[in-house]
Amino acid sequence: MENVLEIRNLKKSFDGNGVLDGISLSVREGEVIVVVGPSGCGKSTLLRCVNGLEQPDGGEILLDGKPISAGNLVEVRRQIGMVFQSYDLFPHMDVLENLSLGPVKALKRPKAQVEEEARQALRRVGLEDKLHALPRQLSGGQKQRVALVRAMMMHPRMLLLDEITAALDPEMVREVLNVVLDLARDGMTMLIVTHEMRFAEAVADRVLFLENGNIVEEGKPADFFHHPTTERARQFLDTFEFTSVKKP
Amino acid sequence: MKKIVALFVALILTLSLITAAFADAQARTLDEIKESGKLVIGVFSDKKPFGYVDEFGEYQGYDVYFARRLAEDLGVALELVSVDAPNRVEYLTSAKVDIILANFTVTPERAEVVDFALPYMKVALGVVSPDAALITSVEDLRGKTLIVSKGTTAETWFTANEPEVNLLKFDTYTETFNALLDGRGDALSTDNTEVLAWAIENPGFTVGVETLGSLDTIAPAVQKGNDTVLAYIDDEIVKLAEEQFFHADYDATLKDVYGDAVDPDNLVVEGGVIE
Amino acid sequence: MRDLAVLFKGNNLQRLLGGLGVTLELSLVSVALSVALGLLAGVLMTLKNPVIRAAMRLWLETVRIVPQLVLLFLVYFGMAKAFNLQLSGEAAAVIVFTFWGAGEMGDLVRGAITSIPVHQRESSAALGLTRGQTWRYVLLPQAARRLIPQAINLATRMIKTTSLVMLIGVVEVLKVGSQIIDAARYDAPQGAVWVYGAVFFLYFFACWPISLAAGWLEKRWA
Repeated sequence: MENVLEIRNLKKSFDGNGVLDGISLSVREGEVIVVVGPSGCGKSTLLRCVNGLEQPDGGEILLDGKPISAGNLVEVRRQIGMVFQSYDLFPHMDVLENLSLGPVKALKRPKAQVEEEARQALRRVGLEDKLHALPRQLSGGQKQRVALVRAMMMHPRMLLLDEITAALDPEMVREVLNVVLDLARDGMTMLIVTHEMRFAEAVADRVLFLENGNIVEEGKPADFFHHPTTERARQFLDTFEFTSVKKP
Repeated sequence: MKKIVALFVALILTLSLITAAFADAQARTLDEIKESGKLVIGVFSDKKPFGYVDEFGEYQGYDVYFARRLAEDLGVALELVSVDAPNRVEYLTSAKVDIILANFTVTPERAEVVDFALPYMKVALGVVSPDAALITSVEDLRGKTLIVSKGTTAETWFTANEPEVNLLKFDTYTETFNALLDGRGDALSTDNTEVLAWAIENPGFTVGVETLGSLDTIAPAVQKGNDTVLAYIDDEIVKLAEEQFFHADYDATLKDVYGDAVDPDNLVVEGGVIE
Repeated sequence: MRDLAVLFKGNNLQRLLGGLGVTLELSLVSVALSVALGLLAGVLMTLKNPVIRAAMRLWLETVRIVPQLVLLFLVYFGMAKAFNLQLSGEAAAVIVFTFWGAGEMGDLVRGAITSIPVHQRESSAALGLTRGQTWRYVLLPQAARRLIPQAINLATRMIKTTSLVMLIGVVEVLKVGSQIIDAARYDAPQGAVWVYGAVFFLYFFACWPISLAAGWLEKRWA
């Protein structure tokens, strides 16, 4: 299968602190890659470099074999959807306007056609009644579902999801992740950063463990989560486990 | 912040240099005025009875009456511009108006920045007091309390010339006149035009001294060096003496205010001649 | 109470309304120009370019430090003296109030723009919108909503400050009021209370709809 995304020796530092220390990675069509690792390991920076929100210091990133540069950035962003941790819907637009803005203004698609598609997409995520709601009238989980639909409305080659459930109350996490699982089932290519380990295990084709700007371990989810090969990964995964303190 | 202040100072300096480098805007000559068909005169619009606007929106008053005649005799239309005391000189130096006719008292300082024509009115100090204890001369005032406003000619003149008169000073005209009504002094002094008008509307008070102190004259003013317009005004003032124009002006505009008790000759100047 | 009649004498009421017309015309033209130029200025003020920054800063400090009256005199009398440029009082007023209003408005716009979370810009960029589109559809509409209360405040301040134009010969509502009071000073010595009361109500009814509209917009956009 084709590589949708290819990252070669990517380097990035902020004020002399290396955040990405020569990362190489390729994502095949239809593949879901989950990146995990401790805070500050460079996961978010990796995603932000891919769609040009950060300028890499070295290395290169190719989308469908073409290098991403300042010159084709706007074009590239139209092909890569991104959803962030915080609710970044546009607060002055209702849900329909949020969904239509990109396709109509960036892709110049006919408005009526886009709106019809938006209606159907909302129906699939169970929000058909929120067509004309303003973002502030939605719950956190609803906002993130709309944000996912908004990214998908661009018909992207792939999606970047940057800790999209990190700011949500626990009972809302599920409804958002269900949408992502649906997308994975439909064969969407995705690069996902998350702290939800059970979800990662369910959705991923491959898991990358990132620490200090390096890929420390890489593998299939069943192997990584149950038989990590590195000590660092084992320690990291242990932080999600608890043993009972009650005597039997 | 220091940088900004420095920049600002630089800006002001530049502006003033620019202003200084160019001559004042040149006032229009008499021929230019005739050609344009319009004479522009700055008058007060809220200083009754000299320059004001009546309830029908028409300019009226002693100054305005004369302004109309100046335009009429020149055979041009008249445009009146509303000016205020602090900016009268600016209107002339920036050539916004041809003439200022706004109760403009002639002083040596002002004569350095504008040219005054012949006077058409004179003012002096007046003293108003209650009828019951009327003050009719300066001698009457000695040892008594006189109410004045701070910064007026009255304060200056009495301080310099009549040390035996006790002065009670206030900041505003309103306070001054209220003090007289309350009986906090024996008399009140300020410009005779003011006390005369005030006495008319306050029965029980009379101006016992109508002219006192140094006589100030009131004259039209033009931009410095605008000789053609200045000459025209002077000629008019001299010529109009034949018909006693300013007495007619007085009758039309000031008589209602000052009543019959006041001798017009204490205020009006004919032909620019002060006796 | 007797002196209330001064308001209805002759054409006085029409004259006051005419004066209000002058006030509103000057204010509305200046406010409209200030808003248009202020939006542009506000965007420029967010730029990092040091020359633009310094120029904008100098402009803003000038309109803040120099009293509006001085600016009016500089433009009305100063332009005539320096360049023999004879502006009408109305033109000078519009220039000065726009110079002032656009500077203040620019600063409000700058504040409103910088208060928008950086994520909004990034979300828009991630959708493949160009810089221009991001400004037009995402940043400026949000800035405008944050701006409304302060802009209304500025507009009402501008309306009230237009009374200064009487000092460059423009007869607006307050000057008409002072003319009416003075013309009646002998017949109606207490007329001032009524005339200033009427002027107060005229200003109030001029500014009130603006405040109402602002409240309505705020509620709609909150």
